[in-house]
Amino acid sequence: MTSTAIVAQHIRRTSLARRHPAILMGSLGVLAVVLSFYGLSVGATEVPVADVLRALVGDTSTQASRIVIDFQLPRVLLCWLVGIALAVSGAVMQGVIRNPLAAPDIIGVTKGAGFAGMLLLLAIPTLPVVAVVPAAFVGGLLAAAMVYVFAYRRGATPVRIALVGIAVSAAFEAGIRFLLVRNPLDVSAALIWLTGSLFGRSMTSVLQILPWVLVLVPLIIVWARKLDVLGLGDDLASGLGEPVERTRRVLLFFAVALAAAAVAVSGTIGFVGLIAPHMARRVFGGKHIASIPAAALFGVLLMLIADMLGRGLAPPLEIPAGLVTAVVGGPYFLYLLVKTGK
Amino acid sequence: MSLSLETAPTAEDAAHRRPRITTNKQRVTWVTLALLVVLVVGLVWALSIGSQHISLSRLPGAILKADEPDELIIQSIRLPRVVLALCVGAALAVAGALMQAVAANPLAAPEIMGVNAGAVLMVVLAVTVVPSLSGAPTILLAFGGAAAAGVSVMLLAGSGRGRVSPVRLALAGVTASSLLISLTQVLIIFDENSTDSVLFWLVGGVNYAGWHDIRNLLPWLVLGLIGAFAMARPLNLLALGDDMARGLGQNVERTRLFGSALVVVLCGAAVSVAGPVAFIGLIVPHIFRRLVGSSYTVLLPLCAVGGGVLVLYADIVSRYVKPPFEVPAGVVTALIGAPIFVYLARRQKVTS
Repeated sequence: MTSTAIVAQHIRRTSLARRHPAILMGSLGVLAVVLSFYGLSVGATEVPVADVLRALVGDTSTQASRIVIDFQLPRVLLCWLVGIALAVSGAVMQGVIRNPLAAPDIIGVTKGAGFAGMLLLLAIPTLPVVAVVPAAFVGGLLAAAMVYVFAYRRGATPVRIALVGIAVSAAFEAGIRFLLVRNPLDVSAALIWLTGSLFGRSMTSVLQILPWVLVLVPLIIVWARKLDVLGLGDDLASGLGEPVERTRRVLLFFAVALAAAAVAVSGTIGFVGLIAPHMARRVFGGKHIASIPAAALFGVLLMLIADMLGRGLAPPLEIPAGLVTAVVGGPYFLYLLVKTGK
Repeated sequence: MSLSLETAPTAEDAAHRRPRITTNKQRVTWVTLALLVVLVVGLVWALSIGSQHISLSRLPGAILKADEPDELIIQSIRLPRVVLALCVGAALAVAGALMQAVAANPLAAPEIMGVNAGAVLMVVLAVTVVPSLSGAPTILLAFGGAAAAGVSVMLLAGSGRGRVSPVRLALAGVTASSLLISLTQVLIIFDENSTDSVLFWLVGGVNYAGWHDIRNLLPWLVLGLIGAFAMARPLNLLALGDDMARGLGQNVERTRLFGSALVVVLCGAAVSVAGPVAFIGLIVPHIFRRLVGSSYTVLLPLCAVGGGVLVLYADIVSRYVKPPFEVPAGVVTALIGAPIFVYLARRQKVTS
């Protein structure tokens, strides 16, 4: 995180990023791929990179290669998908609400989705896992609607939306804890719902989130110009022929759906949706056509680093990725809060 | 709906009429009586339920002597639990009232401002690093954590000069809390792997209470409560606004400093024995301010009893959640408190 931030700062100073966004985007992508390979080789048992490559091209004869395919690969793929989903969701929310403090976890969507997903899983244990995403979507939408209703009282400032969002999150979190107490799960399962974690996920989870990311993210990128138009303000946007309210609603739906899909497979991972879009905007500027794919890449990097730190700090103990992102993201949110006050 | 949550009237207000600190004597009497009835019912209820059914007629005897198993259960398991619930509730509720007065902010409460989370982090850190540590030294460390967290949040929110927007202060506090809670969780994962202990330090409760907890808490609680009650008059003056209070001969800074120190003592001590029982410090003062007005002479004692009653009932309800297992009371207080937090957050004026 710090090294990428330093790199980002340096790049901004030389403004190479603004002149040649493709080059920088490419190098971020390469960095993510390199980290992914590293992520495939670290774990409870270290697998040499050569074996990782052999496993990936289809050689599943050795035990090491089976570890890579069965345990490490789904995990790294999930880092990508969850990172992309959360970051793009956050970028869209910040653009649509025009609120630098907006993010799926800040406005309550994450916890609402987590509560609904968990409720469904516990109520009907035989349900196929595919159903968790729609349930999480409904929960996330409900939370977002609650924040919207409660925060608007003769106008609303970003800061108040954030506070009401946190209060609504606290309510859903209380619900999650209540469910946990009623239905004791083992520690790792409990931590997934409390903080978010990628521990013990399989290819099923990957398939659960994949269609949502594949459909929604390209749609959002195609609509990036609409986000730019919305950023001009309501009057100017409708003057340019944009059906403001409808566009805003559709985009928010997409954002909530992406966040819900991420929560359904990895639990309530916080702050990625807040930080990644900010990093992207600082490096690539405010145009959404560049900043949304960039946010997705930063999201992937954050998730990869958080997951690797969580696994690597004190093996065989695992610190859930959600805790790592919270420890990094909390101070950043405070920094944003101080900055928006000026 | 007229709400007297805003205890600080504007300067013009104060010049034209008497300060808006109202106490309706009759109302206070009724509220006090009702509270006492609720307290007594709660006491009997809490002592008689549990996995072993014990008839009500045995209660009085069992509190005095412990010869038979039933009496032993009451004296060594249920009674400490009830007493601790009352003590912890009193400490947190009074701390909340103090904090709202000192910060002149209706959203200020130990759990919102990171004070509880700071205390928990220090206690868990101490237990992780030196497992043999317990009792008095942990409480002292909890004071350190509580004070450090509270002061940092005030500084971060831009306190010091002028009035901080309540919303900004609350937001900074909640974020700092969640950061501290995350660090606590990391420590718990390093230390041991039981869902029970994770939940205890996340939500707090009195289900593991023993007499030693009460012995550890009691001196600090007594100190904190006496200090708080003694400060009732200066706090009333502070509610008139800094200028007014100064004009009436108050040393505003000293009142704030003492008030904050008492908050740290009360919260640190309560949290180190019972974990961060959620939202007591936020909701209890608000409830009683609505019922009896905003004079701290009346408010503080009522908060002390009311906070105790709330934790007691939360503990009773938590025993019905999943019998015969024990569930931390904090789960229940969080369910009650979170909607009230939403309501209070919504009520805040649009600022900046």
